[in-house]
Amino acid sequence: MKFTKVLALVLACVMCLGVLASCGGGDVNYAKDNTKIKIGASGPLTGGAAIYGIAVKNSAALAIKEINAAGGIFGDGSMFFDELVMTDDKHDPTLVAANYASLYEGGVQITLGTVTTGPALEFKDLSHDDNVFVLTPSASGDAVPEYDNAFQMCFADSNQGTASAQYFNENYQGKKVGAFYKSDDEYSTGILAKFEEALDASFGTVTKAAFVEGDSDFSQHVQNLKECDIIFMPIYYTPASQFMTAGIGTIKNNAIYYGCDGLDGVDSVKNFDINTIPQEVSYLSHFNSGATDGAAKTYINAYREEYGADAPLNQFGAAAYDCVYAIRDALVAAKAAGKTFEVNTSASDFCDILKDIFTSDSFVFHGVTGAPEADGKSNISWNSTGYVNKEAVKYIVKEANEAN
Amino acid sequence: MDFIVTLVNGLSLGGIYAMIALGYTMVYGIAKMLNFAHGDVIMVGGYTVLVFLAVNPVLAIVMSVIFCLLLGIVIEKVAYKPLRGASPLAVLITAIGVSYLLQSLALIIFGAAPEFVIIANLGTLDLGPISIKYSTIITLVATVIVMTVLSLFVKYSKIGRAMVAVSEDRDAARLMGININMIITITFAIGSALAALAGVCSLLNVPTITPTYGAMPGIKAFTAAVIGGIGSIPGAMVGGILLGIVECLCKAVPEIAPYTIAIEFAILIVILLVKPTGILGKKRREKV
Repeated sequence: MKFTKVLALVLACVMCLGVLASCGGGDVNYAKDNTKIKIGASGPLTGGAAIYGIAVKNSAALAIKEINAAGGIFGDGSMFFDELVMTDDKHDPTLVAANYASLYEGGVQITLGTVTTGPALEFKDLSHDDNVFVLTPSASGDAVPEYDNAFQMCFADSNQGTASAQYFNENYQGKKVGAFYKSDDEYSTGILAKFEEALDASFGTVTKAAFVEGDSDFSQHVQNLKECDIIFMPIYYTPASQFMTAGIGTIKNNAIYYGCDGLDGVDSVKNFDINTIPQEVSYLSHFNSGATDGAAKTYINAYREEYGADAPLNQFGAAAYDCVYAIRDALVAAKAAGKTFEVNTSASDFCDILKDIFTSDSFVFHGVTGAPEADGKSNISWNSTGYVNKEAVKYIVKEANEAN
Repeated sequence: MDFIVTLVNGLSLGGIYAMIALGYTMVYGIAKMLNFAHGDVIMVGGYTVLVFLAVNPVLAIVMSVIFCLLLGIVIEKVAYKPLRGASPLAVLITAIGVSYLLQSLALIIFGAAPEFVIIANLGTLDLGPISIKYSTIITLVATVIVMTVLSLFVKYSKIGRAMVAVSEDRDAARLMGININMIITITFAIGSALAALAGVCSLLNVPTITPTYGAMPGIKAFTAAVIGGIGSIPGAMVGGILLGIVECLCKAVPEIAPYTIAIEFAILIVILLVKPTGILGKKRREKV
């Protein structure tokens, strides 16, 4: 009996301490012991979207390695990036809160947010509460940069939907348009809504076939879309590869499959030979993983040399590579603008510095994503809402078979 | 004409569900447990096909069935047999544990990335206005054969009749000299072999596999077993085919398609409300 009372008292005291601690906890600097600037991210390292997360992890680590090898952030050996901290969220939003806490409390000062949109919608509130800088390589949801601390390296969904519709309006007039989409995915429905909005009325109604997580038998979807000339697929590559395989023999051979950035990597699904698909497969993109010159090629070579021929290489990774360099450039610009920071400056102070730079009109980053200029690099800038400005490229994964 | 194609697709998908559901329902009927690892046996079967595909497609299918059959026996001996007589909840949790174990093993061995498993390129049967994939037809034929053989086996073979006896009254069956443990093991073996066959049929239609490949078909087949009346073999067949047809009909209407899974489970709820034992389930009086 006595013991329980003592225990209760002790527990009560601990609770009070907890309350007191959290009173003064608003400004805790978890990075105070850092000796290098720490960048962190959360993404799918296992599960169906793993090749995105792995590419992001590899590419960001590669950029950090290159920057450090070249004398650090300012090139003079005065300040370096720490090794990338990447947590696995399996493209599952429910895992994000724990990942975020481990990043933030582990001393991460600058983040690449998350790799995919679903988890990003959780990450944005958490990072906003603590004022932590986010520059996501690939979470393309419109709501991802809702707060002033978040920026995107990829196109926002609405821009992908709108840009795709514009491409259709210019190139595919008079064709019958279908859409194969995932109805329980914000990424898919978001793009499709904007696509339909921006598509010319002359196309008539878009024939739609929806699937949800866990579906894998697409024979009925193929049946619904067999009359279409172009099938818009704002989805990730795994169901796309299944759908296109199911469509062999039923979907018209001269039809065109047209996707967004989620289709990047469709030719890398194990044992899936994209050449068995008779139709043209293409997507709207900001990075050409088959680039033969310019900065994109330099990145591809460096990536292959570091990780070998089998490592996933896609625009998610390219964007992550750009993110790290953009953060480096922003830090250099910040120093030039007279802002002061140290290797153990808090995440919140870094956020204030970086968002000033990213939203300033004079900050233009030259990277490997986006259509390249004459010097092989693209021009990338951000507006005050956090959306990226750069030029898109259309990427054909596979031409239609000649026999058609 | 599209309606006929949809119906055939539905029958074929329903056949796959029915084959899986048979495993659930037989194990429930005889061992009185829900084997939630059953769905993952499909996945193991799929990966076995993948491994042996390079050698020979037919060998791959045979190996898949044999391997799953053995796996079913091993799972039963290692995980469930020690728990015979334990509370149903403990067995249920163990089954979920086995399910995660199988998924994690596949994750370690094969990785998370989806892999294509193309057993054969079968093409399409063109009948003028309608065209049906050969894979669909093969699935249908396989389903009919499996159902017939299983029904005959249960009805006329000695082991089959022993299975019925155990499911009717375990104690009485034991008193009549039936080896209960052996019957339960055989049930697991048959159920798992059927799961492997279902996996092969489903790979013919959808040639991709991931470590979580069996989860959704497993749950759908379980639903089918409950709709048909869990414990009843004809019930599993009826439930599976009903569910397959409903699924394909829903997907044929673009406005309804996003709610397909919701509708399938809504049917389960309605049937349980109207007929709690399922369509063909027997009402059992509690003996006092």
